[in-house]
Amino acid sequence: MYLTLLVSGLVIGSIYGLIALGYSLIYKSSGLLSFVQGDIMTLGAFLGLTFYSYLGLPFVVSLLLTVACAVALGFALEKGVIRPLLNKNVATVYIVLATIAISYIVQNGSMIAWGSITLNFPSVFGVGTVKIGKINVQPEALMCILVGFICMILLHFYMTKTKLGTSMRAASMDAMAAESCGIDVSLSTGISWGLSAGLAAIAGILIGPIYGVYTTLGAVIGRKGFSSAVIGGYGNMYGAIVGGLILGLVETFSASRVSSTYKNLIAYCLLLVFLLVKPTGIFNEKAVQD
Amino acid sequence: MKLQKNKLTALILIMIAMLLPLIFSGSSYFVLIFCFIEIYIIGVSGLDILFGYCGQVSLGHAAFYAIGAYGSVLLHKYTGMPVLVTMIIGSALGAVVGAIVAYSCSKLVFHFLSLATQAVGEIIYILVSHSPNNVTGNYVGMYTDPVNLFGFKLDSEYKFFYFALGCVVIFLLAKQFLVNSKTGRAFTAIRENVHAADGMGINVRAYKVKAFATSAFYTAFAGAMFAHLVEYVSPDSFLYKQSVMFLTMLLFGGSGSLLGPILGASAVLLVNESLRSLQDYQMLVYGIMMLIVIVVMPGGIFGLGKGVMAKIKNKKLNGGEANA
Amino acid sequence: MLETKGVTIKFGGLTAVNHVDMKVRANKITGLIGPNGAGKTTFFNCISGVYTPNEGQVLFNGKNIEGMKPYQICNAGISRTYQVINLFWKMSAIENVMVGMHPRLKSGFLTDLIKTPAVRAEEKMVREKAYEWLKFVGLEKYADDPSGSLSYGGQRLLEIVRGLASDSKILLLDEPAAGMNTKEKAEFDELLQKILEKGVTILMIEHDMKLVMNICDYLYVLEYGKLLAHGTPEEIQNHPEVIRAYLGGE
Repeated sequence: MYLTLLVSGLVIGSIYGLIALGYSLIYKSSGLLSFVQGDIMTLGAFLGLTFYSYLGLPFVVSLLLTVACAVALGFALEKGVIRPLLNKNVATVYIVLATIAISYIVQNGSMIAWGSITLNFPSVFGVGTVKIGKINVQPEALMCILVGFICMILLHFYMTKTKLGTSMRAASMDAMAAESCGIDVSLSTGISWGLSAGLAAIAGILIGPIYGVYTTLGAVIGRKGFSSAVIGGYGNMYGAIVGGLILGLVETFSASRVSSTYKNLIAYCLLLVFLLVKPTGIFNEKAVQD
Repeated sequence: MKLQKNKLTALILIMIAMLLPLIFSGSSYFVLIFCFIEIYIIGVSGLDILFGYCGQVSLGHAAFYAIGAYGSVLLHKYTGMPVLVTMIIGSALGAVVGAIVAYSCSKLVFHFLSLATQAVGEIIYILVSHSPNNVTGNYVGMYTDPVNLFGFKLDSEYKFFYFALGCVVIFLLAKQFLVNSKTGRAFTAIRENVHAADGMGINVRAYKVKAFATSAFYTAFAGAMFAHLVEYVSPDSFLYKQSVMFLTMLLFGGSGSLLGPILGASAVLLVNESLRSLQDYQMLVYGIMMLIVIVVMPGGIFGLGKGVMAKIKNKKLNGGEANA
Repeated sequence: MLETKGVTIKFGGLTAVNHVDMKVRANKITGLIGPNGAGKTTFFNCISGVYTPNEGQVLFNGKNIEGMKPYQICNAGISRTYQVINLFWKMSAIENVMVGMHPRLKSGFLTDLIKTPAVRAEEKMVREKAYEWLKFVGLEKYADDPSGSLSYGGQRLLEIVRGLASDSKILLLDEPAAGMNTKEKAEFDELLQKILEKGVTILMIEHDMKLVMNICDYLYVLEYGKLLAHGTPEEIQNHPEVIRAYLGGE
């Protein structure tokens, strides 16, 4: 029982973490907040389902195709909506509102395209469960946890060790100075929006087989992803995953111990507590207050 | 002179509004829509005080809408106080919650403020839909009585319309007074430049709390009006969607103005109603409307109108000069 | 009037301001000079409450104001301008001044909401007085223009008058003459004299040595966060350490 809870907490936690990674990445590269993440995740789940189940492509191919689509979409959003707004020098709050508008469009759009019933995502590995110790676990669940960690490590490596990552961080600190150092700020933020969208799509395709696919899937998970990012320290890659895992575990355990009705309530309260008491999060990332 | 003209315009607008139910007297449906528009004007004006003037974003105004509605309905049910009194107490409750949120969140940068307010909205939603001991009727909701003005029951759309019109006038007048006062200037100063406002002797936190509380009071009162107009409340009316609808109305109409919320509430609600058959696309429509406003006309309808007027005026001026 | 005792502020390992003692005499113009990065603006921020000093005291009329928030310090009678102009850009020039008068107004939130006759009268007074202030610096023509549309020099003047409007006893000016041309600088000299006549004490950071030597009554020189020298302009001009700091090295 205890172990089952632990695994399901870790699974949902790593999904939150993947979403949180995307938020942190966007924040690190452009200082912005995007409300689209959760809905891109839904879109990712639907696309994955379409490629894998309807078109009968192999899972890995479907995954890659989905991620490619999401990256393209993220990049296009930055180029088509966010960049022009930035260039017009509108107040940042309007850009955030624009992402809310886009999230509405994506969410409703996917409902129009795929309908509003929950779709079943067929099992990926063919086997029902694997045994760990005394409990049975879906192999997809293990994949979730694994992929979450890999993404975090790759991203951290990318941000700190590669030239593109470094220029991205420079661009977020002072766009003008970075520009004058020869960094293509527009390109680097575009890429980070694309990457974030890709991460969200991976989360979607991972969670699909476990939760099923429906249009508001991403809305709730997206918000939880935010909370995770704040808990871990907004803008910190390790913080994103750690925050996600903490939130996933707290949620799962409190759902079984206290009441599952107030599962979400607890998650939001945790977010508020962190915002008010420890806004820099576990990893002490100064982002939230001015 | 300018003030006189404004007063005259306002009077004419009120007169036209008063005639509306007579013009549409055949259709109680239309009158009901007008009632909703009035409710939204108050709610959105509340958000305007916060966002348009003080520059603080809220993605959780549905929470205050809910507190006003449920506060009034529950108080009326359990204490038997007259509806008008419970409406005011419910709104005050909303203001108190708003003040608490603002006090604790006053230091957050705006995107995290929007996040915190969103969380507050969700928490209130969960509380009313999963209330302890089922006091709110949970998903089923609960029925309530219409507004009772000193023994005069406002049990039809027509009666409610005039009551709501009175409320709109009072609330908008107060808003106008407020934003053109010392307090309103402090709000705008905070919106424009927090650090300079602080340096000019403005207690930023205190004024953010004031802005939030006032805003919450307005929106909570609108919520209470809504509850006693339809004589029924259920959690469905207080989803996150509602918060976004308030913002859409405000942005679409034009924030930081008297007319903006009026135009925005009317336009969005009418679009909404005319697309009732396409309800599945409602969010898509909001999304597109919001995006258009943000990208193409940042001042909303009001800003657009103002821009056009200024252009005409300019042209006239230039034309006059050319002739002379 | 304004006195600092051993004010020290550290950022991480860096000591930006190191045990600075300073006395600003009433109704005089005191100048604060020093090379770039000497910690002048940081020191200003300590006085005006933006930063709280790690050590030391800031005394205003004998009262310790260290640790107070910027708005409280403004209410106490110290107002300031900023190195980078910090106006309320979308508000009109006159509204900017009216915001400046904020600490002196009595109306409260509830009275504002219902616009009592007292509020009405006060608002009328505020508008007239703000107009007077604009006249004081010659900006009355632009009263209703958004402050962002004023010329650079105009914006500087507006910021000064916004600070004065709070009836402050001390005005802290952070590089007020930056970006002004020679003619504007000459007028600025006159303006400072007019401000002194109103009984306001001035403490200013300025880079233009000619201007500083002409108008300041007393000077403090900062270098690397430490007080290098202080004295009358003549004394400073002949101070070997100051000459070294400005001409030699680096």
